[in-house]
Amino acid sequence: MEVKQVAVVVVTKKEIYMKKIILLMCVFAFTKVYSQTSPDSNMLYTKRVLESAEIDFLTSLYMQNGDNAAVSGGIGTEELLDLTGAIVISIPLNADDVLIIDAGVSTYTSASSSNIDPFDKKRKADPFVASSGASKEDEWTNITISYSHSSDDRNTVWSGKASVSSEYDYFSAGVGGSYARLYNQKNTELSVSANVFVDSWSLIYPVELRGSNNKKGDDDDFNINDYTITGNQNYSPSFERFNSSGRNSYSIGFGFSQILHKNIQGSLALDFIQQQGLLSTPFQRVYFSDVEDSFIENFQLADDVERLPDFRFKVASGARLNWYLNERVTLRTFYRYYFDDWGIDSHTASIEMPVKISDYFTLYPSYRFYNQTASDYFNPYNKALSTDKYYTSDYDVSGYSANQFGFGVSYTDIFTEARIWKFGLKSVDLKFYQYDRNSNFTSSIVTAGIKIVID
Amino acid sequence: MIKQIMYVIITTTFLSSCMVVKEYEKVNINDPDMALSNKKCDRNISTMHSYREAAVGANGGKTGGGCGCN
Repeated sequence: MEVKQVAVVVVTKKEIYMKKIILLMCVFAFTKVYSQTSPDSNMLYTKRVLESAEIDFLTSLYMQNGDNAAVSGGIGTEELLDLTGAIVISIPLNADDVLIIDAGVSTYTSASSSNIDPFDKKRKADPFVASSGASKEDEWTNITISYSHSSDDRNTVWSGKASVSSEYDYFSAGVGGSYARLYNQKNTELSVSANVFVDSWSLIYPVELRGSNNKKGDDDDFNINDYTITGNQNYSPSFERFNSSGRNSYSIGFGFSQILHKNIQGSLALDFIQQQGLLSTPFQRVYFSDVEDSFIENFQLADDVERLPDFRFKVASGARLNWYLNERVTLRTFYRYYFDDWGIDSHTASIEMPVKISDYFTLYPSYRFYNQTASDYFNPYNKALSTDKYYTSDYDVSGYSANQFGFGVSYTDIFTEARIWKFGLKSVDLKFYQYDRNSNFTSSIVTAGIKIVID
Repeated sequence: MIKQIMYVIITTTFLSSCMVVKEYEKVNINDPDMALSNKKCDRNISTMHSYREAAVGANGGKTGGGCGCN
């Protein structure tokens, strides 16, 4: 009997001992699993949207020339030189949020703008000769601040932005926002965006139309009686100043992108844009075919300035398809169809073929085709009718086709091995584009960009 | 034209439902040259297009603001 009791006590002690061991193993296993999975999970789900701050320095030099300046009613030099510089600073505020500050300055000299007042008394006024007036140059400044927030699972991105830009005769303020949602293991993205721009003009008219009714910003030095008028010497345009100077633009856009294959992805975009207010440019002259022409020196005096409806609705639909052909070559394509209620239909198609020539360098040959039909309100030089309600001789809304050839080279080092102190060089881009219309207009641009990463 | 756009949308949607590219298979998709937007250094050429051409939008660029009258 005693032996049995001793045996039972021994068995009970063994069970308790085993339970303790199992309990310890469970605790250890749980701790082990927890200690292994927790940091990994955190790493997976809290990967920063932007690892470190980045700065982009962007610059471009743009040159154009043509024979159809809108300032001189569709005839005259369109020579323009524009130098632009911008800095874009992207700052990660935390793992999910990024703040972007984008500031730029563009300074230009424009022969056509100079002919708002072609009578500088230094040389004969002529639409093909730049005047030395104040309007020959201007400066455009802009600042845009954007903020974006990504959800923890990175399937949702909210963003908002505000912008201000200013020129001598134009001011623009804008706000916008977008929402993007990723589905299907981040293979599909749907997005919606909206923007509002509230702009205002300082109304500047061609100098000969200001008459005695000068207002702020007008050049008071000009007196038509100081000049000899040829052609129709009884120059008496029926010109009325615009009674509003505001222009508002509203846009809403929808986007859809899809990974179609491990080497192919594409996107579709649909934008609706509505503009209202003063959509005419107050210093662009118009010459009527049913009014006898008047000249001072070689410059034809304006019959009126362009008159355009105070409402415009635009629709643009675009598609992109990018194809990673192999480790050397990628194909980037884009097509857009556009139409508006001013009678313009347009097609844009472009192709770019980045070719990696080494681990760091990529070449960017490209071609772009563009064409548009003329606006219902467009009239060539001296063809508008004074009886029409709306008219313009701005060849930017004429019917034309344009070809653009481009070539660029890019240096990219994702590991930023080239460093100075805390700054690492991530990429350098240099591109050149040549753009030619079939209507005596040509332009070229050199653009450059440097991206620096800050540790 | 609208019919063609709808055809592209529907076709793309159905094609996309056939396969899902996993994260580890997106090495090529994540190549910088595969981005569905223009490079930052191209934005000034896009600005020039928006000033000199009637068509704007549907390319991720600016769709309003600024006179572009020079």
